[in-house]
Amino acid sequence: MRIKTEYLGRVEGEAGVRFEIKNGRLAELKINIWEPPRFFEGMLVGRRYDEAPDIVARICGICPVSHMLTSIRAIEKAIWFEPGPETIAARKIMAYSQIASSHLVHLVMLALPDYEGKSSLMEMMSARDGAECGKNGETEKAKKTKKAKVKDLLKKFINVKEAFNGITQTFGGRALHPVSMVVGGFTSFPGEKEIDRLLSGLASAEDDLEDIAGLISELKPPRLETASELVCLSDDGGYAINGGRIVSDMGLDGTEEEYEELFEEKEASYSNAKKTRLRERGQIMTGALARVSLQSRWLGEKARKPAFSISLSSSSGKNPFNNIMAQAAELLHFWQECKKLLEASGAEKQKKQKFPGRPPAREGEGRALTEAPRGLLYHSYAIDRTGAIRKANIVTPTAHNYLAMEQDLRRLIEDNIDLPKERLKSLAGMLIRAYDPCFSCSVH
Amino acid sequence: MSFYKKFRLHKKDVHSPKEKNPEKKRVGFFKFSCCTGCGFELAYFQRSLKETLESFDFTFFRLASSAGSPEGPFDLALVEGAVTEPFQIVEIKKIRAASKVLYAVGSCAIVGGIPAIKALAPEMEVERAAYRERLYEMSSTRPHVIGDYVKVDGCIRGCPPGERDLEEALASVLIGKEPEFIEYSVCMECKMAGNACVLLEDGLPCMGPVTNAGCGALCPAHHRACYSCFGLMGQANVPALKGKFRKLGFTEEDIEKRFFTLFGALGETGQ
Ligand code: SF4
Ligand code: SF4
Ligand code: SF4
Repeated sequence: MRIKTEYLGRVEGEAGVRFEIKNGRLAELKINIWEPPRFFEGMLVGRRYDEAPDIVARICGICPVSHMLTSIRAIEKAIWFEPGPETIAARKIMAYSQIASSHLVHLVMLALPDYEGKSSLMEMMSARDGAECGKNGETEKAKKTKKAKVKDLLKKFINVKEAFNGITQTFGGRALHPVSMVVGGFTSFPGEKEIDRLLSGLASAEDDLEDIAGLISELKPPRLETASELVCLSDDGGYAINGGRIVSDMGLDGTEEEYEELFEEKEASYSNAKKTRLRERGQIMTGALARVSLQSRWLGEKARKPAFSISLSSSSGKNPFNNIMAQAAELLHFWQECKKLLEASGAEKQKKQKFPGRPPAREGEGRALTEAPRGLLYHSYAIDRTGAIRKANIVTPTAHNYLAMEQDLRRLIEDNIDLPKERLKSLAGMLIRAYDPCFSCSVH
Repeated sequence: MSFYKKFRLHKKDVHSPKEKNPEKKRVGFFKFSCCTGCGFELAYFQRSLKETLESFDFTFFRLASSAGSPEGPFDLALVEGAVTEPFQIVEIKKIRAASKVLYAVGSCAIVGGIPAIKALAPEMEVERAAYRERLYEMSSTRPHVIGDYVKVDGCIRGCPPGERDLEEALASVLIGKEPEFIEYSVCMECKMAGNACVLLEDGLPCMGPVTNAGCGALCPAHHRACYSCFGLMGQANVPALKGKFRKLGFTEEDIEKRFFTLFGALGETGQ
């Protein structure tokens, strides 16, 4: 029996999955990422160092801020520039608000329909599911309540999304491919009034956010245990996002300088994305679940409430389906962190200085690791005396997760091998989506 | 402002009252080589989301739905991304044939955008930096805009596009009129917004004079030079701006290899 999905839906980018079951056993399984390569590492060669953030932002339409932040820090290391505290704080705000928006989109628009047995949020809202509802013996009234619930969810989703997007937009100029975040700092900072507006936006989104997180925490993910090593960044000062040591649940401990010695990338004959693994150790899983499992000590009290802490126990950290639980916990955490940072920046009464201009070019190399919404993101650059980029290397979260995704999918199919074809097909899609992959990033 | 109010539409203009079950317009959204940002922008179309869903049926939109077929027919096809693979040439022709109206969305699809930077060097040189073993089987081509292969009925510019042109696109299909997309320079928006000019006052290499508007002069409002992410506008006076940059002391290399190739690597074509 051959099972094939040519073009997966509700994921970022283009990929398919196919597997074959022969005599009750899984014979072959491939996640084929056919997203066309754009060769960013090649396009960057010869461009000036301060153009890189605007170029790499276009790797991805859902995590441009992560690509910008990672490239900016790698480049600043290469040219020996140290940003000031105000810039560091504003970059944190950018990262937190973007991760929250990305999680929100994944949870509500991409993942949730799987749990409702629907193909999309639009279908969840649509009126034309009468036949199906009738089949399940649902009354007209139950159908209406269900629809009202979805409409209500949509309203909450938009409200929360606008609060977080508003933050990225106010600090970055726009939420998607922001303009004011550059090598050297920010070309402008928001004023006190704007900060107040953002804070009241966050306040008005609080209840809706808790409702959405609550809704997610009540879902019942399928069971599965990954054999992957959970990897994330770690920092003594708090929940690590922009830099830190690389750690794992199996005792890994390294620095971002050592990244290329620790990890290796291999091209796959059937895919445009490369597979990344820890040398001599194997597949890893990175992303919200790894972060929440390994950095739980830094989570704010909101995310630690028992209702949301499902993913905090060590055993559930190994079920990739629980990634959505971890994303819900992070949503709450980042809401709190954004609020804290905004209050602190609003309290600073001193006048923001005018941006002094881009720091000058200098020959050097820089490597940086950050936590993007989907996990570990690595950028490295070699810059020459004139400021031209001579070499660039980018390894994205989905390239880090690629091996684990395939291995976990094998396990899932083997565990459920007797299920009918359609069920296996939808289960496979559901697992891949649980990882929240970004195929545009994975190929780039 | 609501979608209907903004265009002074009444629901009765849109669906004639005689129709009991007005057919929704069928929309297909297609991704080529790009970041999917335009797709997300449309999916986030928040303020008008309800109205949009009332009037349109997104019968193919892979980012948002695992159902639906790319075969059509479509009242409107929206296409993001550049063409960089041979299989995409076949696809774009099929999409064109299945669609009444086709709009290119975003700089990648309209002027080549960031993916077009690949065209500045021999293909293999760029590819070599990313792949080793698979280099010789890569079929990636020189990037092309959608309009190189099929007739495009309109361009929703931006990277990502602004809400105004997206709304205009949907409204035009709804009421069957020619869309009026923004076609003037960022400078116009900038002056209307009352920004201080970063080109004249700070000597920054602002591409605003030659760049198509639609962003609301975002960069100058944030004290940085426009880097032309909406692409060159039609009838842009490129030589004049290049002369201005020269006078400000920028090198020929900067002018030719940086400012005008970040979002204009395919030259002034693709308009
Ligand atoms: S135009 Fe910009 S936002 Fe749209 S797909 Fe291309 S890179 Fe992404
Ligand atoms: S800042 Fe740029 S866009 Fe604004 S008026 Fe000056 S040149 Fe034009
Ligand atoms: S000012 Fe120029 S670079 Fe900035 S957003 Fe507008 S078009 Fe893009």
